[in-house]
Amino acid sequence: MSINRKIAALLGVAAIVLTACSSSTASTKPSTAAASGASAAGCKVGVSWNNYTEERWAKWDEPAIKAALAAVGAEYISNDAKSSAATQATNIDQLISQGAKVLIILAQDGTAIKTSVASATSQKIPVIGYDRLIEDPAALYITFDNKGVGKMQAEAIMKAVPKGNYVIIKGNKADANADFLRAGMVEAGIPANAASATGDIKIVGETYTNDWKPALAQTEMEQFLTANQNKVDAVLSENDGMAGGVIAALKAQGLAGKVAVSGQDGDAAALNNVALGNQTVDVWKDARELGKAAGEAAAQLCTGTANDKVIGTAPFTTPGKNNVSSIIIAPHPITKDNLNVVLDAGWITKAKLCAGVDASKAPDACK
Amino acid sequence: MAEASTVPKNVASEPRPSVRSLLLSAEVDARLLGLIAALVVIWVGFNIMSGGLFLTSRNLWNLSVQSASVGIMATGMVLIIVSRNIDLSVGSVLTFTGMTMAMLQTQWLPESLLGQPYTWVIVLAIGLLVGAAIGAIQGFIIAYLMVPSFIVTLGGLLIWAGFAFEEASGQTISPLDTVFQLLGGGPVGSLGEIASWAIGALACVGIVYSLIASRRRRRRYGFPVRPRWAEGSLMVISVVVVLGAVWVANSYYWPAALAEQYGKGLNTPVGIANPVLIAIGVAIVMTIVATRRRFGRYVFAIGGNPEAAELGGINTRRTIMLTFVIMSTLAALSAAILSARLNAGVTGLGAQAELYVIAAAVIGGTSFAGGIGTIPGAVLGAVVMQSLQSGMVLLRVDSPIQDIVVGIVLVAAVGTDAALRRRAT
Repeated sequence: MSINRKIAALLGVAAIVLTACSSSTASTKPSTAAASGASAAGCKVGVSWNNYTEERWAKWDEPAIKAALAAVGAEYISNDAKSSAATQATNIDQLISQGAKVLIILAQDGTAIKTSVASATSQKIPVIGYDRLIEDPAALYITFDNKGVGKMQAEAIMKAVPKGNYVIIKGNKADANADFLRAGMVEAGIPANAASATGDIKIVGETYTNDWKPALAQTEMEQFLTANQNKVDAVLSENDGMAGGVIAALKAQGLAGKVAVSGQDGDAAALNNVALGNQTVDVWKDARELGKAAGEAAAQLCTGTANDKVIGTAPFTTPGKNNVSSIIIAPHPITKDNLNVVLDAGWITKAKLCAGVDASKAPDACK
Repeated sequence: MAEASTVPKNVASEPRPSVRSLLLSAEVDARLLGLIAALVVIWVGFNIMSGGLFLTSRNLWNLSVQSASVGIMATGMVLIIVSRNIDLSVGSVLTFTGMTMAMLQTQWLPESLLGQPYTWVIVLAIGLLVGAAIGAIQGFIIAYLMVPSFIVTLGGLLIWAGFAFEEASGQTISPLDTVFQLLGGGPVGSLGEIASWAIGALACVGIVYSLIASRRRRRRYGFPVRPRWAEGSLMVISVVVVLGAVWVANSYYWPAALAEQYGKGLNTPVGIANPVLIAIGVAIVMTIVATRRRFGRYVFAIGGNPEAAELGGINTRRTIMLTFVIMSTLAALSAAILSARLNAGVTGLGAQAELYVIAAAVIGGTSFAGGIGTIPGAVLGAVVMQSLQSGMVLLRVDSPIQDIVVGIVLVAAVGTDAALRRRAT
């Protein structure tokens, strides 16, 4: 019952978003799924969300998946595990009994889900691990390049501040992403820790932040500023929420806009900070690209295409040493020079992006 | 009469004058004194380890602002725990009211009321009312429908966090009203030099007056008074501490870059920050409520012995409900401060705040057995917790280790307290 109600509500949302985006998506690269043609028609694709109450899934991912499936006449069914690995296992059985021929799984727990995935593959039902890794060689892995996000953050900041004192505000220690991002920074040339810093970049403060909390990041930044007598030139914050806390701390010292700050997620408040000049870079992951790729891949899997024959896949070795096929989508680093990207994509309104921006110092996108 | 319950009572079997008996005759709360001693040890320790960074005016000023929100809520938590209840919902109430106030001042209020010099008053008033209403609902269910507070507020923890998310679909709401932001402190949201000294002087007059008045009152009713030396030194120490604190706040100067932006000269003292002033105000009012008002005495009486309190004619249900109204209102006040400080409404604003608030109250000497606890102790508890956290960031201790240390300190503090109390009785 709850699923029906949810789908009804979503159709409304999807319709609005789709009409809003149709003009912009037309300009991106042509649909690859169209190639596999009508043979996917009527194929049921089951999507198992792990926690549908997070804004992103309903607003961006699901409409994109639906659109990609609708383009080839495939059918979309879904359910929500409400952040429970146990519920997700039941949900996947349900999707299969409803006749799903392909599964797209946003795993609550990439290890606990393995039993369900094995059971699906034994019934010749291909599985797509969506956004989060599933440690099973049979699952096609579709995700953003998380390490790449860290690399892009570091590159943009290093471009703005080639040498000087860096503070690194990392996310939750228990979240593997926090370390992926940090590893990406190392790839870009940021020292792995304060001790190994030999070149132009000196790390004067680095910490994890419980639950990625913005208010905690603010306190941390205040302490790092105190410890260094304000001699901080750049801050690598791993996401936008914490970047907001960092900027609040900088503002209290009159340093906002003078110290380079990074973030990711494309939060409206953070993009506004980019336009205002308070934040240097916001690495934006367009969830619609991810949804579209998953929908198109599912459509190909419907016609019996093997994982490694799906268009756009490349081999990928997981941290658990499994060789899987993967589609890894590059995020977009957004700086004040290319803010029009998020505007053109319909991700944010100009009014929100440019709120409070001084006309004389406005970036091009706000003129 | 409430202070009677916070002072150890074994005056009898002490043959020679020891430190202990001196303290007793001076009527100083030994537990509070222990806490102050612990704080001094922590501060000096961090100062040595950080190479003199911790005891700078700047760091102490930061520390005062960082402690304000937990300190404010801890004063309310004392009344809750003293009356043998618990409130696990404070963090979520904080998140919800914070998000409500953020939405009000950016989207919900009619256009004509946005961006006005008085917008913050409307926003804060509605925020506090929403907090009070939440407290009334939870308090009613606890006091009149007899559902255990642990369960009701555990439900509240989930409910209000959920509502906070729904309000803004999980988005960050920023920037906030420019006047509202002053509630959060920062050099702009501080009193400045002259007002800070004025507040300090006022506080000194208040302390001296209340000590003299209380001495007169006691004498009139034939109660024992403190020895003259004790009264005198208490007065001197209090005045020195107050003026010292103002001096520290005034020795923190506007950061050069910010002073330039606002056209202030170099070496402009920042003074006491607004959130700290609010926290001190709350602590004073709550202390008076807890020790000098009938309501406060009822709360302690209920905590000491609920049945006796009820038989004694106290309207226990109304009293309990009120403690929850106060608690949630204070959570809303903290929400205003925290979101003003962050210049944003965010969904995770108060996550786990309940743990820090309860820990501050308990470190400050509030007993889960009921009937025992002080407001100043809870505020000090908040300062101890925040000192540990800020100090460790200063020493670049990573967050998992910070959690371990704070956890150990919590258990050790309560353990020591329990051991001392067992020996005292």
